[in-house]
Amino acid sequence: MKSRHSSDVDNASLAGFDTRSGNLLERLLFNHRPWVLLLCLLATLFLGMQATRIELNASFEKMIPTGHPYIVNYLDNQKELSGLGNALRIAVANRHGDIYDADYLATLQTLSDKIYLLPGVDRAFMKSLWTPATRWVSVTEDGLDGGPVIPDAYDGSPATLAELRRNVQLSNEIGQLVAFDQRSSIIYVPLLARTSDGQPLDYAALSADLEALRAQYQSDAIDIHITGFAKKIGDLIEGLEQILLFFAGAILITAGVLYAYTRCLRSTLLVVLCSLVAVLWQLGLLPLLGYQLDPYSVLVPFLVFAIGMSHGAQKMNGIMQDIGRGMHRVVAARNTFRRLFVAGLTALLSDAVGFAVLMFIDIPVIQDLAVAASIGVAVLIITNLILLPILLSYLGVSPAAAQRSLREEQADSGPAQRHRLWRLLDLFTQKRWASVCVILAACMAVAGYLVSMNLKIGDLDAGAPELRADSRYNLDDAFMNRAFGASSDLFAVMVRTPAGECARYDILRKVDALDWQLRTLPGVDSTNSLALLNRRMLVGLSEGSPKWYELQNNQAMLNMITASAPRGLYNESCSLLTLYVYLTDHKAETLTGLVEHVERFAAANNTADVQFMLAAGNAGIEAATNIVVKQANREMLFWVYGAVILLCLITFRSWRATLCAIVPLVLTSILCEALMVWLGIGVKVATLPVIALGVGIGIDYALYVMSMLLVYQRQGASLSEAYYRALVSTGKVVMLTGVTLAIGVITWLFSPIKFQADMGVLLAFMFVWNMVGALLLLPALAYFLLPAQPRADAAGEPQPGSHEEATPVHPKPQVQQRSARAHALTSD
Amino acid sequence: MKRLQQLGCVLLALASPLSQAQSDLLVGDVLSTSAMPIAQAQQAVFIDLARAGERLVAVGERGLVLLSDDHGQSWRQARVPVSVSLTAVQFADARHGWAVGHAGVILATRDAGETWQVQLSGVQAAQLELDAARRELADSADPEAGEARLQTAERLVAEGPDKPFLALAFTDAQHGLVVGAYGIALATDDAGATWHSLVGRIDNPLGLHLYAVARHGDDWFLAGEQGYLARSADAGRSFQMLESPYAGTFFTLASGPDGALLVAGLKGHAFISHERGERFEVLPVPVPVSFNDASTLQDGRVLLANQGGMLFRSTPAGALKPFGKPLGMPVSSLVQAADGSLIVAGFTGLSRLPLHDTPEAE
Repeated sequence: MKSRHSSDVDNASLAGFDTRSGNLLERLLFNHRPWVLLLCLLATLFLGMQATRIELNASFEKMIPTGHPYIVNYLDNQKELSGLGNALRIAVANRHGDIYDADYLATLQTLSDKIYLLPGVDRAFMKSLWTPATRWVSVTEDGLDGGPVIPDAYDGSPATLAELRRNVQLSNEIGQLVAFDQRSSIIYVPLLARTSDGQPLDYAALSADLEALRAQYQSDAIDIHITGFAKKIGDLIEGLEQILLFFAGAILITAGVLYAYTRCLRSTLLVVLCSLVAVLWQLGLLPLLGYQLDPYSVLVPFLVFAIGMSHGAQKMNGIMQDIGRGMHRVVAARNTFRRLFVAGLTALLSDAVGFAVLMFIDIPVIQDLAVAASIGVAVLIITNLILLPILLSYLGVSPAAAQRSLREEQADSGPAQRHRLWRLLDLFTQKRWASVCVILAACMAVAGYLVSMNLKIGDLDAGAPELRADSRYNLDDAFMNRAFGASSDLFAVMVRTPAGECARYDILRKVDALDWQLRTLPGVDSTNSLALLNRRMLVGLSEGSPKWYELQNNQAMLNMITASAPRGLYNESCSLLTLYVYLTDHKAETLTGLVEHVERFAAANNTADVQFMLAAGNAGIEAATNIVVKQANREMLFWVYGAVILLCLITFRSWRATLCAIVPLVLTSILCEALMVWLGIGVKVATLPVIALGVGIGIDYALYVMSMLLVYQRQGASLSEAYYRALVSTGKVVMLTGVTLAIGVITWLFSPIKFQADMGVLLAFMFVWNMVGALLLLPALAYFLLPAQPRADAAGEPQPGSHEEATPVHPKPQVQQRSARAHALTSD
Repeated sequence: MKRLQQLGCVLLALASPLSQAQSDLLVGDVLSTSAMPIAQAQQAVFIDLARAGERLVAVGERGLVLLSDDHGQSWRQARVPVSVSLTAVQFADARHGWAVGHAGVILATRDAGETWQVQLSGVQAAQLELDAARRELADSADPEAGEARLQTAERLVAEGPDKPFLALAFTDAQHGLVVGAYGIALATDDAGATWHSLVGRIDNPLGLHLYAVARHGDDWFLAGEQGYLARSADAGRSFQMLESPYAGTFFTLASGPDGALLVAGLKGHAFISHERGERFEVLPVPVPVSFNDASTLQDGRVLLANQGGMLFRSTPAGALKPFGKPLGMPVSSLVQAADGSLIVAGFTGLSRLPLHDTPEAE
């Protein structure tokens, strides 16, 4: 201990500093500062160049749990599920009347022609009122009569419009291509996975083309609504580009808050710079390792920046305090490095662990997020724990700011003069307040737990949950549901049969039974299947008589009807049937009920010849995702807490201290779940990582406060005194960063992408509440768990050996000594 | 009390083991699988309606039978032992009724529709017809026709029960006639305990589908495919073909209290006869949409419903006048409830037009 303290002698110049002091790492870094800077510069240049290659993309298959049996079934049969293909629906509405209007029809024709020419459109299967495949059929005394719905002699005259109206009535397209109120009609645009020149479909470009058409043709008379996976992805990518604005906003806000706190432009800029360097390195490493940014991982650079600011502020604060005490900037930097490197490293490692456990979740986007975040945090160890102190050792801080920081400390020299806030916080180390706080926390935990029992899995809102309820896309989607009656939540059951036997009566009978059973489940709006088509077609073939509404046990009839059935109900080789279930919503209960019923039905009815398989369609994929998310939710908490507890035990060497640090985090996790219930946010792919991230980042605060508190307590200070010392060294920066980070992420609320807004509000809550927990509940628990007095001698002295280096070194073990010196300094 | 019953149901459901529930889901033969109880059953596909005294009875897809004791305001599901679509229902009195349907099913109830028993299925119906064809071949006046009938009957047996009965008429709780696809016709004189084939006594050489039966006194009428019309002057024991005014299919027949016979069908064609079907007057086609059902109201007026959901009434002047606003949904059947309101059934379920919505006069 003695030799260490020798370096703490007041040192306004570098002359008396022993450059051979400190551990190997410190000597390696600080005795070769130019080399470290040069290496960092080269790394920044190289990775900066790499970062220009980063791609922003959204891939459908990355957002789904590809390992889940349902998704495996879906991907196995994807090519044959033509009815579930990627298609756009473009509704063209007449604002002033019905579709039997010459001007409306002219616009529809022009639009239809233009869309026909867009790259990636599967032209053979495109459908609108104007395509020849749209026909009417009528029963006559002699059989069937029919033709295209637009009369061959169409010229816009009232007579031909009347003929069109009659044809539409006979076309069976009302509710399909033509709205129930006949004021709008649809252009149905199936898409190819690759354009004719072999390039993958560019969703952003397609979406932009569609928006251009919308801008051109939407008018006082015409309203255009577009839905479909391609449009949704296009809108998401567009929304992602706005993320850059949030990023810039967050940089300004955090830098502003930091500057307001330190009043030192120089060091504030350095902290921001180092955090940005970390982001740049991360963005450079991602394409180098073959990753790209998607809607989920685009938030990671943001998070890395925020965490970097938190650690950077701790380092800067330490150096500023030391310089204020009169040390040379290099000595101050080395001192701070010694004092806080281990705490910072442990904190960053626990962040990294918090991110890394997300790898357990079998959803590629979350795994990518885990990798990206782990890389980012690892990079921070270099940029903010090493590069920043070295840069500060060159540039220092402004003398005025250093004096200011010192004055604050001086004001704190006696309990009576301490800042009101510190006195308030100190109350939590006293019996009365500590008891109240612990009891209150226990009550909140119980209440929060009870509320969190209602936590829902999955998305709770209608339409495209990725986007906001009032986004253009969701308004369009709601219009489609209203005008055309078909729900956008589609669940599909696949039925595997022997080749060529998909129309066998015994098989269709089972499909028919399942179809009927599912239609009686809550949340099911309607169904469609080859069995249902057989019922309807038999009515049609029987001159429309409803008495024939039956799945007739007549194989010749079934074969005949199947031969003329539309694509989508069965595949080319007649070995796969699809049962479509249209849902009124995609709430978890709806999906769970549906999935459980189909599972039981399949268990009872699957034979060698017919297998009912789950699940396709957006709701089917969501059902599988929900199952994975639900399981991962608990597993992830188990792993993240396991890892964090282990790290705390290693760092603190005390189960009592570990408990003090962990309990506030647990309370935050519980309350976060309760908050999700209250805000109507379900656990889903977007919100699943939040609790892990919250625990990972929350442990930072506890580590910084608890490690300082332990150092002082082991040096013999009372709990109150040790807590106060921890507060003024690291605690106030915890407060600062907690608030800063929360302000930074709360701006996501304005994101056009709904899940980013959800993540923002939850992360902000966790940042603030973890901070509150670390500052109030932690000392209150310490009052009960870490009574200091008699153990001071035994436990206060660190163990010899490796632990010697791990324990942060503080320049002033004795409070009296310290205040006396401070007094001496001011009298100079 | 109702709460207690609900609780009982829940407990019962909880008590039944899972394996039980799974075997319940095993899909069996339509003729041996009871109709599944469902919530919101009145939104299913319904095909025919009847009155059992004050009670309303609706039959439809997958063995659905619904009962209403409040003139169609609320419905509950009856227990039915089959899950084939039921195409027609009729009550001889307030308690005794019959329903027919696909797979040659004849169901009977003795408790006003609460429970139903299978009296006959298509397998037995085909066998009855085959036995009759064999028996009557000997004393057939036209051996060629008798031979053809025998071949048809043999095919009927070979093909299995895939054909529906489409209409029925009971004069009392003992005597009734059911007719259906390909000219099949069975009669009973003992409340359905035994049935005998009537195919040999109906003049229907092409084996056309028979869609409707009507009677007025001892005059019975049949209507069916391709304008088929036949009359029995001996209370349904034998039928002779009538000269048809139309070549398209007739789906419905109605006889008014004055003995006028109304027949209607494909593409809005409707005719009326005041001379026991000897001569028909055309009722001008109001819209070219097929008529599915005709029903005689309490005041003697006849209402027609078409597949487009429009209702028409016949006027003494021999014309069809629209009755109320179009319903906007296809109508399979309509019946007047005891309180005067109209109940309609169709592909989108059951609905009730209250009395004040049904104009009494123009």
